[in-house]
Amino acid sequence: MMNLEEKKKSGLELFLYWGLPILAILLVVGGWLWFAISNPRLMPNPLQVYERLIRTFTRPVAKVNLFGHAFASLGRVLMALVFAWVIGIVLGILIGWSRVCKAVIGTIFEIIRPIPPIAWIPIVIMWFGIEEFPKVLLVFIGTFVPLVINTAAGIGLVDKINIDVGKIFGGNRFQILAQIVIPTALPSIFAGIRTSVSSGWTTVLAAEMIAAQHGLGALVTRGWQGSDMALVMVAVITIAIIGAFLAFSLNKLEKWVCPWTK
Amino acid sequence: MDKVSNKMEIRQISKTFFASKGYFVAIEDVSFDVRDGEFLVILGPGHCGKTVLLNIVAGLDKQTGGRVLYDGTPMDGVNNQISMVFQKLALMSFKTVMQNVELGLTFRGTPKNERRKISQKYLDLVGLTGFEKSYPYQLSGGMKQRVGIARAYANDPKVLVMDEPFGQLDAQTRYAMQEELLKTWEKDKRTVIFVTNNIEEALYLGDRIVLLSECPAKVKAIYPVDLPKPRDMTGKIFLDLRAEISSNTDLAI
Repeated sequence: MMNLEEKKKSGLELFLYWGLPILAILLVVGGWLWFAISNPRLMPNPLQVYERLIRTFTRPVAKVNLFGHAFASLGRVLMALVFAWVIGIVLGILIGWSRVCKAVIGTIFEIIRPIPPIAWIPIVIMWFGIEEFPKVLLVFIGTFVPLVINTAAGIGLVDKINIDVGKIFGGNRFQILAQIVIPTALPSIFAGIRTSVSSGWTTVLAAEMIAAQHGLGALVTRGWQGSDMALVMVAVITIAIIGAFLAFSLNKLEKWVCPWTK
Repeated sequence: MDKVSNKMEIRQISKTFFASKGYFVAIEDVSFDVRDGEFLVILGPGHCGKTVLLNIVAGLDKQTGGRVLYDGTPMDGVNNQISMVFQKLALMSFKTVMQNVELGLTFRGTPKNERRKISQKYLDLVGLTGFEKSYPYQLSGGMKQRVGIARAYANDPKVLVMDEPFGQLDAQTRYAMQEELLKTWEKDKRTVIFVTNNIEEALYLGDRIVLLSECPAKVKAIYPVDLPKPRDMTGKIFLDLRAEISSNTDLAI
């Protein structure tokens, strides 16, 4: 009897884990097919998109194939992320740990933080033009904000008792910060890293859509302006796949960096 | 008779918390001595003042009145001779059992080999051999509490402050831990200040019992317990004393 119950339950689990997600994807593909067949001028069908994908390799856009465009976008994000992680985490720690820093930097930050990264586009372009630096700068702004917020919140939320433990066991202020407070806040910092990556991936595309030769955002604009919907779809699907892959890798990285969070 | 020497003297300690809408007196005029090498139990009902009092004794919190003397000198902040077992465990979730126990030694810059050796000794003593590499979330409540005790011992304090260390354990584990604690204490005779709200626990462990009142916490009475350890919890003197303390204890609401 017990076994039967368990079997039934595992059947349901299996359906929830595999059945429903597959069904959801089929639904999207089905909707796409239906839309493409009833409006062939607005929406290319999957086969046409596949053919367009092949053509991005045989006849590269702006002399660069799809991988080249993907790497151009990824490179910008990565460069911005490296700076954002270092500066954002350090600033977040300062704001969370020191009341003076919170009063000064925290206040400035509270003013800047509600501005969406895309709103910086005109400002950054007017100040720095449309070269590589302004794009990276835009991504930096978009990634740096969630990092500071999450890091500062994580540091601020560390239970006072953990700090008391540090004091009782003879830690000085720096030891308590480095060996107790920061590790305790690490899961929050990681949440910030995750948000920063997805935000960076969004911002780079927006920046590229406005002014870029290479990059997935440039592909979207190119397709859009040339009424080449299939190219837009190729770029959009690539964006989705890379975005999902980034999220997945970050989850793995987090499990490796914070093994205590099950 | 030998002259008893005082390790710590708690003199007219009081603590008032001020808030925007008034104030709250948690501790009022509490005085007692902590003798060198004794097992002192602070027994108090409910939730009033005990943890605050301990935090003041350990130097984590500032009193609003009175003084705490350690070896005759007034305390200012934490003291590396005093170690603590926390009521809420407060283990570092990101450290392994071994790293948790090593905490004080790491802060002091003890070399790794020596650190390992000392920590292993106390882990073995509290019966956690084989769990050195586990993380706290993988342990039961009783095991976590043992890590907290081993951590405090590994810091080699002169005075060990324990804040309701067994409060979260089931009765069975609690008895076992009390016995183990006594054994450890008999071996190295450290001064212990142990807080509890459990009369039996107080009588089983304490050389002397400081009975606190309900809010604000004041000293109601100090009971010496002149019974050999380990104590028979059904003996006549034990039960008489239990009844006496019990009738003198304020009911916690």
